[in-house]
Amino acid sequence: MDYILIILYAVSLVYFAVAERMSKFVVILSMQGFILFGVVFFSLNEIEIFDFVFILTETILVKAMLIPWFMNRVRKHNQLKRVHEPYIPVFYSIIIVILSLGASFLLSNNLQNAQLHTKFFTVALASVMFGIYFIVVHRNIFSHVVGYLIIENGIFLFSLAVGSQMPLMVNLAVLLDVVMGVLVLGIFINRIGDTFHSVEIKNLSELKD
Amino acid sequence: MSILSIILIIVAAVFFPGIIGMMKSLVVGRKMPSIFQPLFDVIRLFKKGSIYSTTTSFVFRLAPLVYFATVFASMLFLPIAGERGLLTFDNDLVFFAYMLALGKFFMIIAAMDTGSGFEGMGANREALYSMLVEPAFFITMGSLALFTGYTSFYDLFTSVQINTDFSYIIGISGVYVLIFIAMVENSRLPVDDPRTHLELTMVHEVMVLDYSGFDLGLIHITSWIKFSIYTTLISNFLLPVDWPLGFQIACFFLIQAVVAGVMGLLESFRARNKLDKNPQWILMLSAIAIVTFLATLIIAEKIVLN
Amino acid sequence: MDVLIFKIAVLLSFTLFFVPQKARHLVTLLLVGTLAVVTSYWAVQSFMSVEVWEKNLMYLVDHPVNIIIDKLSAFFILVINLTVITGTLYSKGYLKPYTTLKTSQEMAWHYFNLLWLHSSMLMVVMFRDALAFLIIWELMSLASFFLVIFESEKKETIRIGIQYLIQMHIGLLFILIAFVVAAVQSGAPFSFDGLEVYFSTHSPFGLFLLFFMGFGIKAGFVPLHTWLPHAHPAAPSHVSGIMSGVMIKLGIYGILRVLTYIHTDLMMIGIFILLVSLVTGVLGVTIAIVQRDVKKLLAYSSIENIGIIGIGIGLGVVGMAADIHVLAALGFAGGLLHILNHSLFKSLLFYTSGNVYQQTHTRNIDYLGGLHGKMPRTTVLFLVGSLAICGLPPFNGFVSEFLIYSGLFKSLQGAELFPVIFILLGIVGLAVIGGLAVFCFTKVFSTIFLGTSRSDHTVHSAEVSKSMLFPLWLIGLLILFIGCAPFLLMRPLADIVYVFTGHTQLITSMGHSMTNMCIASGVLVAVVGLLWLLRSRVQKNKVIQHNVTWGCAYTGANAAVHQYSSASYADNIRQLAPGVVGVKKEYKHFEETEIFPSPRSFDTLSSDIFEDHLITKPANKLLKGMARIAVFQTGKTQHYLLYALVFLIVILLLTLVNWI
Repeated sequence: MDYILIILYAVSLVYFAVAERMSKFVVILSMQGFILFGVVFFSLNEIEIFDFVFILTETILVKAMLIPWFMNRVRKHNQLKRVHEPYIPVFYSIIIVILSLGASFLLSNNLQNAQLHTKFFTVALASVMFGIYFIVVHRNIFSHVVGYLIIENGIFLFSLAVGSQMPLMVNLAVLLDVVMGVLVLGIFINRIGDTFHSVEIKNLSELKD
Repeated sequence: MSILSIILIIVAAVFFPGIIGMMKSLVVGRKMPSIFQPLFDVIRLFKKGSIYSTTTSFVFRLAPLVYFATVFASMLFLPIAGERGLLTFDNDLVFFAYMLALGKFFMIIAAMDTGSGFEGMGANREALYSMLVEPAFFITMGSLALFTGYTSFYDLFTSVQINTDFSYIIGISGVYVLIFIAMVENSRLPVDDPRTHLELTMVHEVMVLDYSGFDLGLIHITSWIKFSIYTTLISNFLLPVDWPLGFQIACFFLIQAVVAGVMGLLESFRARNKLDKNPQWILMLSAIAIVTFLATLIIAEKIVLN
Repeated sequence: MDVLIFKIAVLLSFTLFFVPQKARHLVTLLLVGTLAVVTSYWAVQSFMSVEVWEKNLMYLVDHPVNIIIDKLSAFFILVINLTVITGTLYSKGYLKPYTTLKTSQEMAWHYFNLLWLHSSMLMVVMFRDALAFLIIWELMSLASFFLVIFESEKKETIRIGIQYLIQMHIGLLFILIAFVVAAVQSGAPFSFDGLEVYFSTHSPFGLFLLFFMGFGIKAGFVPLHTWLPHAHPAAPSHVSGIMSGVMIKLGIYGILRVLTYIHTDLMMIGIFILLVSLVTGVLGVTIAIVQRDVKKLLAYSSIENIGIIGIGIGLGVVGMAADIHVLAALGFAGGLLHILNHSLFKSLLFYTSGNVYQQTHTRNIDYLGGLHGKMPRTTVLFLVGSLAICGLPPFNGFVSEFLIYSGLFKSLQGAELFPVIFILLGIVGLAVIGGLAVFCFTKVFSTIFLGTSRSDHTVHSAEVSKSMLFPLWLIGLLILFIGCAPFLLMRPLADIVYVFTGHTQLITSMGHSMTNMCIASGVLVAVVGLLWLLRSRVQKNKVIQHNVTWGCAYTGANAAVHQYSSASYADNIRQLAPGVVGVKKEYKHFEETEIFPSPRSFDTLSSDIFEDHLITKPANKLLKGMARIAVFQTGKTQHYLLYALVFLIVILLLTLVNWI
């Protein structure tokens, strides 16, 4: 069953490469949250019960509902609609996401380590690589926050892959990191949007004073 | 009894566009036309004469016949309800795909034959989209071949049912990709809007702009049969072969009706993509097909994960 | 006895200078025919027997030069003979307008080189001794050089010919170095058979790479292909057909011959060939799409087909390395059959475009259009060639691609992960190449023959003479024959593939699929025929009108201007891969203040990016560097004597200081 969810997660990465509307980014992010909830749910025999409940709430509440709701608010406040043409056309981004998925699947085939759950490692690595690529090619701060969240999802999967040791601490730290980051960035974007009327990187880089 | 498959596909093809039209008017709130309305339209076309453009050559007159013949011949390979196709052989899926490409080649050059800028537009868009969708079909069939070890349609579909826990993953993603491939190959939304009146926005409709009478009727029938063929492939994924024959035939018609209804719904609620976003949308199909292939590699235990 | 006939036929080529012009073509045809008959007889003998056919040809400074024909050479001999015969038949009509423009000696020289091209190509596949092989290879390049610069009154042609000659010599250098390294390091005789000793003791990949560079320049793999798109358009059409049909395949022959001696390290070699061929195939057809010179487009399309042949061979080698018998047998079978198929349909396409060139005097397809009315038979023949090259059933291109696909799909389940990746790449690559080929040839066919004429070049065109059409019908029939009855070729193919790998019963067992395919094609034709009859019956009592194409009530400019030009048709692909096709658009923008626009022109120029970056730019830099050093070349004797004096003084000083 968790294989199906891994594949669904991979497909959601492909949809990220294709998507061009901001609202679609938020929808796919919340879908990823639900998929991660499913993944944790089905690995229930690996983790202790208290940590387990905590991670469940983290995924379903924070990743799948809270953060997308907040991002939506920011989007509506700044009236962001479409992504402006990224540096690399979408056609080639799709090819790149497939190559990164293929590479991480092949790499995890060659890793032989009894303590590593390679089935999560595959999409975790692909997610981190794709998140970084996403930030590099898009021109817009909102997209950068979305890319950051993709990387965070990847790190979450890494924590599932690596360990049954102290998942609580790891997840607490990551959670704090994510929530604070998104809150701060969201407020930041709102203020910038209000005074400056643009969220493009090009214009923001000229803000040196 | 393999002639059964041809009869079933043709019967389903006749009702298919009728169901789509009924669903669309149901959603919008109009009075539904008869389910046989498209059939009546085609019969009316057969009764009319034709106008041929003076610019055209034998290619224009030959193309609708070749288009129909290729689609008809590709019906001979499809298994249905557990029966083999008439001419099943190993790797017939390659022949199937290239046969359909032959039909498309002739339609494209017939469109260019008229010497009109409109048809030229449709021709080169059609050539690009059919080029982009080929890999998706082959990769999906490749995943099946990887899983089952067979290569003809009949063998593939009968053995994919022999189940391990995971064959339904392949089944579901195969159906998902096939529905989108069917939408692209038959020029439906979101790649092409069959209802648009603006030639600059058409792909398939504008290629047949200069056809009339018998030729146009033949082209309509061919596109229905083509749709029915793809839905037959989808039903082969979903129906288990060990059910009784009558039950399978009933489910076959049910699946055809459901797919037609879903098409109608999609067409009512979705707009067509911007034309220059179409290539990347079609490439996404190949990407999902490759993800399916990777999944099959895991299932076939070529990629070993723990 | 038959060796004697061969030698006499080759030597009789010198008589071409002495016969009158009227008889020259007949003499050439007779001599070509004799060579073809003799060598085909040897080839058939080789196919029939189990051992290799061997005879002595002559002595080269008391070194015996032997003709050794195994099944691979026999196959190539038959392919060469077929294409050269059709080419010679075609040249009668094609060269007729030139007999008034050129002197008698120039025509004799041309026919002489044609004959020597034929005989040297035959001898290339028949010799195993390296010295004889290299000499004949050089002769082949020279003969083709002289044939390419036939229209030497154009300055461009000579420049292109010299560029071609230089690249051929670079190839020769690589092959020579490879042979020398093998002979020196292994002590074996200086021949192909000596390679066996080298490969069994050393790692084969390095030497294989050297051979690949040398033979790859001839074959036209990317990035070694830059001579092809210039040489083929510059040459007359029958020469282009022969060169594209068989001469570039001799590069593949060389690679195959070297492969027969390699038995270790096959995986790396196979992956290398596969990857290079995939890039070659996709890039070749993509750049072909944006061309507007029809012969340049066909040249790039040849590059694409060399890619397909390479994919088949690469997959065969990968199959051999990974012990996947299906992939090995069917990959080689598909690649080898594609050699035959490509020689057929590519030569057909070049000859028909020669027809068009002879009637319209232009190769630019943006000036053509609507030729179906004036040249109906040429239209049908070009259509057959286009359908065959796109790999569509029921023509022959489909059969070779089908063999490769069968190998790919059948081997998926049994293979391990590492080969499966390359099988997937092969499937995707072939599918993409096939789709792009359809795009390319619908563009070419419809721009030249359909629609309305775009300029006055077509005003005086008419159908060409029967002697030019006869060889084309012959090739068309062969294309249909191979497409509809491929099971007849499975047995000979299996015998050839046996040279490389065993388990060839997998090829002969394809007979069942082939028969069903034949039946399906028959059904296709029957349905088309039935529908045609049905339509004429139905339309008998109806009103059939003829009117102009529907133009949305726009009665403005003339119809030819509305049509899609070749650049507009190809624009889709150009937008998807701008970096690869190297197309620059030149036009002037409309200014904001320009209320009444002045006349404008729009031009699309395409240049080969490999040529730009690998040849033109380094060559320019080299020339600039050389120009600085050229300061020393003043032309005055006194300066040169000064240099000599300086040299003497320097040597004196160095001797005094005891350095030398």
